Amino acid sequence: MNSPGPTAEQVQLEVYRKVVTIRFAELRIREHVEKEGFGGFWHPGIGQEGLQVGAVSAMQPDDYLYYAHRGLGYAFAKGMELEPLFGDLLGRRTGSTGGKGGGTVHFADASRHVMGQGGTLGSSFVMGAGTAAASQLLGDGRVTVVFFGDGASGRGTWHEAALQASVWKLPVVWICENNGWALSARFTEQSPTEHVADRAPAYGIPGVVVDGQDAMAVREVTLEAIERARRGEGPTLIEAKTLRIRGHYEGDRQPYRDDPVLGDEIPNDPVHRLGEGIADDVRRGIDAEARALVDRAFDAALAAPRADDSVIFEDVWA
Amino acid sequence: MSAAAATTDRVIGYSRAINEALAEEMRRDERVWMMGQDIGRLGGVFGLTRGLLDEFGPMRVRDTAINETFIVGGAAGAALAGTIPVVELQFADFLFTAADEIFHKLAKWRYMHGGQFTMPVVVRLPTGVVGGAGAEHSQSLETIAMHVAGLKVAVPATPSDAKGLLKAAIRDPDPVLFFEHKGLYRVKGPVPESDEHVVPFGSARIARPGSDLTVVATGLMVDRALAAAEQLAPQGIDVEVIDPRTLVPLDIDTIVSSVERTHRLMVVHEASRTAGFGAEIAAQVHERAFFALDAPVWRVCGTDTPLPQDPDLEQACIPSTDEIVTAALALAAI
Ligand SMILES: Cc1ncc(C[n+]2csc(CCOP(=O)(O)OP(=O)(O)O)c2C)c(N)n1
Ligand SMILES: [Mg+2]
Repeated sequence: MNSPGPTAEQVQLEVYRKVVTIRFAELRIREHVEKEGFGGFWHPGIGQEGLQVGAVSAMQPDDYLYYAHRGLGYAFAKGMELEPLFGDLLGRRTGSTGGKGGGTVHFADASRHVMGQGGTLGSSFVMGAGTAAASQLLGDGRVTVVFFGDGASGRGTWHEAALQASVWKLPVVWICENNGWALSARFTEQSPTEHVADRAPAYGIPGVVVDGQDAMAVREVTLEAIERARRGEGPTLIEAKTLRIRGHYEGDRQPYRDDPVLGDEIPNDPVHRLGEGIADDVRRGIDAEARALVDRAFDAALAAPRADDSVIFEDVWA
Repeated sequence: MSAAAATTDRVIGYSRAINEALAEEMRRDERVWMMGQDIGRLGGVFGLTRGLLDEFGPMRVRDTAINETFIVGGAAGAALAGTIPVVELQFADFLFTAADEIFHKLAKWRYMHGGQFTMPVVVRLPTGVVGGAGAEHSQSLETIAMHVAGLKVAVPATPSDAKGLLKAAIRDPDPVLFFEHKGLYRVKGPVPESDEHVVPFGSARIARPGSDLTVVATGLMVDRALAAAEQLAPQGIDVEVIDPRTLVPLDIDTIVSSVERTHRLMVVHEASRTAGFGAEIAAQVHERAFFALDAPVWRVCGTDTPLPQDPDLEQACIPSTDEIVTAALALAAI
């Protein structure tokens, strides 16, 4: 916006801090899932944190976020604290959903406009467009950002949402995290075109392909798309190319995988790329703080009471 | 509404009553808006939204493409962002076309996210058999809506209730599926003048008091049950007709206390018999008033078949006044 914002260095530091925090969170969650088991499916987002944080860093606090199921980068970048996020993951009363969204997380923070997540892929295409329609009606100047996977791009809801949002010039930005896989389905075998973004021209909207391992590049294209949306010029489809480092869920042995199973190696690691311009001692300081923050929050979530039967009848009706 | 108020009512049609409810609520609250197919320029395929585009403009009365998942899912997203969408599907049957949006997004979003959001959406659903619309444009699907937790379900049978329930639905913070019967659109009846004619959900209406047999009916079946009651009266059977008006919440208390007086219950619905709401009401009455019953609870319902397109054949698939009379005579004789 018009106020003198933070410098480019400050922005990069902040993006780095968030990305590295989520990296530590990923590792801590993995350790927990491996050791303790888990009452749900954890879909690791390791390696995709950069694009998530980079994109969300382009949003204003009042903008609306519909995140996807791969990791916590989106919500953390939008300002949610780690403890309620871990609380949701672990089915704790202290989770942002009070224990309702446990397992495969459905966290939310209405005050920060983290709008939640559906269990059915592709539902956020139409919901996000509707949220943007509300902003257009109210004239509140907000933009809605919707994340989705390459697999979810196959849903028909994409077509219904994209067509209507383009015709109405709704302030919505769609960000595809193309990590090459939808569970066992290879993107190249399920898409007739090289890019998801190739579909954008059919709806009369820009389709942008960006390197998803480059957080700052994702931030740049998202900023542009958001500003376009805010000006009333309609939606943009951004496709961030990335990689699914781990299985579909933690514990997935990926027998179907015909590209190298990556395990721990993160090609083009967004953490390293962001860290390149940062002085070593500064970076080490940020890392240590991030790790401590993650451990404190995770330990606190573990110590919190589990949601008990009393939640079952809560929140069915307003 | 009190009897005194009723005497000052105007007589208007069910369609007009719905149109008035929409207009009044949009005037009252700027956050209320509508979208659907052909609702603007045309005023709706059944004419329900006529004049609203002119009064409220194209931002608040929005014609969509043919995209039911957007109409309902978009309404869900718009509700989360502080507006009150009232959307129309051209036929209630299309709720299957937007099933994920209705049964998952509308019904569960608040719950899944720990009560952080409200979902004030009204989905208007022209329902029921009329004029040979065929198997995918004629169904009564209210029981399906009732079975999935998180949705309120209204089934107005009169112009007055159509208006009052729709106003209540728009003011309700929870999602409402509003089943308007297509066969009732042209029916006229008294409707209070007041802007504040709001019929609370979960309050059944005793459409006709009686002492020998309770008949619970909704939608188009209310008039048929009333006509049957008039035929049965000279034969010494005094029928009480109860219209629950909303199925979620269901005013079971009014039904149970009626059965405690009449000792007999019959449920009449246009929806298919198997696992219809008649089964639910029968079960609840058995649980709560078994010893008040002098006879089993009977159901007179739509057939367990798809609906044929032919207008005469489709009528043969739903309860007629004669069928209700015949069943009532047999039930009263047990
Ligand atoms: C409508 C729907 N179909 C299928 C699923 C099951 N499912 C969950 S995640 C997933 C793969 C998604 O792939 P993608 O969108 O590429 O996201 P990624 O997991 O790669 O991040 C599938 C098939 C679902 N949740 N919803
Ligand atoms: Mg994928």
